[in-house]
Amino acid sequence: MSLFFFYLFAAILIFASLVVVLARNPLYNVLALVVAIFSLSCLFVLLEAFFVGIVLLLVYAGAVLVFFLFVVMCLNLNAIALDQAQQTRFRLLGSMMGLMFAASFGLAAKSFIKAQTMEASNIRGTIEIIGKILFTDYLLPFELTSLLLLIAIFGIVSLAQGALSTGKDTENS
Amino acid sequence: MITLGNYLALSGIIFSIGLVGVMVSRNVLKVLLSLELLLAASNLSFVAFSKFNGDYAGQLIVFFVILVAAAEVAIGLAIIVVMYRRLSTIQADELRTMKW
Amino acid sequence: MINAQLVWIAFFSPLVACVLITLFFLKRKTSSSLIAIAGILTSFVCSCLIFTQIFQANPPAQLQQSLTWITIDALTINFGFLMNPLCVMMLLIVTGVGSVIFIYSRGYMDEDPSSPRFFAELSLFAFSMIGIVLSNNFIQLFIFWELVGLSSYLLIGFWYAKPSAADAGVKAFMVNRLSDFGFLCGIILLWSISDIGHGRSFLFTDLTAVVGHLDPHLLTITALLLFCGVIGKSAQVPLHVWLIDAMEGPTPVSALIHAATMVAAGIYLLARTFFIFEPSATALTVIGYTGAITALMAAILAIAENDIKKILAYSTLSQLGLMVMALGLAGPMQGMYHLTTHAFFKALLFLGAGSVIIALHHEQNIWNMHGLFKKMPITGMTFLIGTLAICGIFPLSGFWSKDAILALAYTHDTVLYLIAATASGFTAFYMGRLFFVVFWGNPTALHHGAHGHEPHESPLVMTIPLIFLAILSGLGGFMGIPHFLFPQQAPEELNWRVALISSVVAILGLGFSYMIYGKRTASDPLATKLGIFYTVLKNKFYFDVVYGWYVDNIQQNVALFLSKFEKEIIVRLCVGGLTNLTRSGGKTFRYLQNGLVQFYALIFILGAVLLFLFMMRVL
Repeated sequence: MSLFFFYLFAAILIFASLVVVLARNPLYNVLALVVAIFSLSCLFVLLEAFFVGIVLLLVYAGAVLVFFLFVVMCLNLNAIALDQAQQTRFRLLGSMMGLMFAASFGLAAKSFIKAQTMEASNIRGTIEIIGKILFTDYLLPFELTSLLLLIAIFGIVSLAQGALSTGKDTENS
Repeated sequence: MITLGNYLALSGIIFSIGLVGVMVSRNVLKVLLSLELLLAASNLSFVAFSKFNGDYAGQLIVFFVILVAAAEVAIGLAIIVVMYRRLSTIQADELRTMKW
Repeated sequence: MINAQLVWIAFFSPLVACVLITLFFLKRKTSSSLIAIAGILTSFVCSCLIFTQIFQANPPAQLQQSLTWITIDALTINFGFLMNPLCVMMLLIVTGVGSVIFIYSRGYMDEDPSSPRFFAELSLFAFSMIGIVLSNNFIQLFIFWELVGLSSYLLIGFWYAKPSAADAGVKAFMVNRLSDFGFLCGIILLWSISDIGHGRSFLFTDLTAVVGHLDPHLLTITALLLFCGVIGKSAQVPLHVWLIDAMEGPTPVSALIHAATMVAAGIYLLARTFFIFEPSATALTVIGYTGAITALMAAILAIAENDIKKILAYSTLSQLGLMVMALGLAGPMQGMYHLTTHAFFKALLFLGAGSVIIALHHEQNIWNMHGLFKKMPITGMTFLIGTLAICGIFPLSGFWSKDAILALAYTHDTVLYLIAATASGFTAFYMGRLFFVVFWGNPTALHHGAHGHEPHESPLVMTIPLIFLAILSGLGGFMGIPHFLFPQQAPEELNWRVALISSVVAILGLGFSYMIYGKRTASDPLATKLGIFYTVLKNKFYFDVVYGWYVDNIQQNVALFLSKFEKEIIVRLCVGGLTNLTRSGGKTFRYLQNGLVQFYALIFILGAVLLFLFMMRVL
């Protein structure tokens, strides 16, 4: 049963990623990424990592991609993007790089023999367990990330401030 | 039976797609989205390892990666906004001043 | 006991004088001349003291002192001196005649604005010459040999603004360089075959001990190579061409360097290192014949020459040939004896010529000089003594030394004797020609230069040296010089037969010259009488022409070819090619930095993939 679901979600994920890369309309790109995140989240649940699955959904699909959509809609970027050419001059080279990378990754995975026969352990990443570890063993990184987010906010505000004030020429900011 | 190899193969495929997207897209927005794909693929790989090795550390790493990715995307988008204001375009080719 | 300090003082005092003049006194004429004279006089006084010290002991004392200068593995080069009777006699000649000439120069160079430079260069020469005399090993000798060549170049081209003088200096230096190449080869060959038990050496004393064990063929080759140096420095055939042009220098220079001392350095070398030449009969024969041919050829060429200094230069060449021949006959004592007396009367003759030149405001053509005996009595008298000495008239010094050589030739090799005797005959002829044309007869209306003054006797500072040298030329035969030179050798008996023959030849020569030149004519009567032969003589047997042709056609082309090779292949192709390679490489790689971030990402991924494959042992 879970095999079927795995292949289902895997297929959706791959298809959605392809749309992200290949579609022309930026809106399609973003929405395809949302779909990809959804299927990824389902895969996490399949792996019994419930907490990170939900967090992925909340943060990524809920916040980040909505932010993306904000920017696209606000600045009317889809209109601009549709006018201009979509691919760079290094199409062939880039695709080849990607293929090479995939091949070497496959080579690495294939040589990882143990992975073929390994039994899954029976840990469950519930919110209770993860929370306990988070607040005891990994407390420091947890607190530091809040600092990181603060800095990110500073950065964004100063950048956006500069961008906004280019509209007004003579007034001091 | 789903082995670790399955998950790793999937992760590899997604990563490669994301890589091609980063290298090939002319649109900066698409580059950023492909970057998200890369991160997603590595997250998948981390969680798969965590499950199959019986170690919670993988999932915690994923938690932090999501956090940091969120911050990074925010800043990236701010930069794109600034770029749009200055150059009136979102083509990656227009950012060309760091050359010889 | 010889005091080593005296030797070092004698060695370095002219150098000190040179340095002082160059650094501080280049604008002051009087001070510079006085400093130079002081320098050389100090050396002379020290030499006299050393002389007395040597000959107080019986057997005469000898001293060697040297410090090790450079040691590289088996190569040891020393710096020091070897003081023995031969050395001190040569030193006395160099410093003595040198002092006289320095004093004379004070008067001669009085009008010249760059005379301080002259005295500095002259002092440098004195230092280098003393270096040659004192050296105790071949490398030091070679260094000072080259230094002497340099001083000669500087002094010949003293009036460097004059193109002929500059060219003459270069010619002298180049010809000497050529001979020095052979010389250096000889020195190195000698060093490589000498094995004194604990390595190899350049020292004369070490080589004397070991010369008996050397392979005779190699020894002959070495001797001949060393003789190459003598050919250049002492102007033997075929490298004699520079000495005639060297007369472009001021007359004191001609007197000191190209008559008394520097050109005699070759003879001194042969005498000092005679132990190398003695065992090799082939080398001695070559030396003997070279000397004889030079003597004869120079004597013949002098007949057609009209410049007073160049005539004297030819006579120097001729006498040097005689000295070299003496050494070729295994007679170092006779050669050195003649060197000593020659220094006296040749310097005298040159200084006398200088006196005449100055009195006539730098006139050098003998056909513009006439009947100067009455106007310049002291110069005339001393010049006469010099002339008689060089012809070998009894009882002047030249008679004794020249007859020693002729006697040696008479008993050893008849051919050489005949050549030498003929040369002596010609010597008498052209010297008589010189004397009669310049000094004899009545001073008629042939005016002197464009100045229109009457010539008058030179100042005391110039005539006193003349008188001094005339006394030495006259009494030199009675001072017992051979005994002082080679105390171990028994004195030679005078060979009356040879003496008689040579006196007759000399008087005949003088007589012939009186017949032709006694009645003064406007130009040389021989020019018409000898016809074509005279043209050959005028062109100096075409040596210069041949050398000139060679330099212009062969050497110049080789040099041009090499220059082009260097420019095109080495510079343009190799060095230039390298830079072009780097530059074009840079231009190509520049396109990797095109500012496109995605391109950078691409390269990045490429690198990562390659690294990954490398780690997986695929690559």
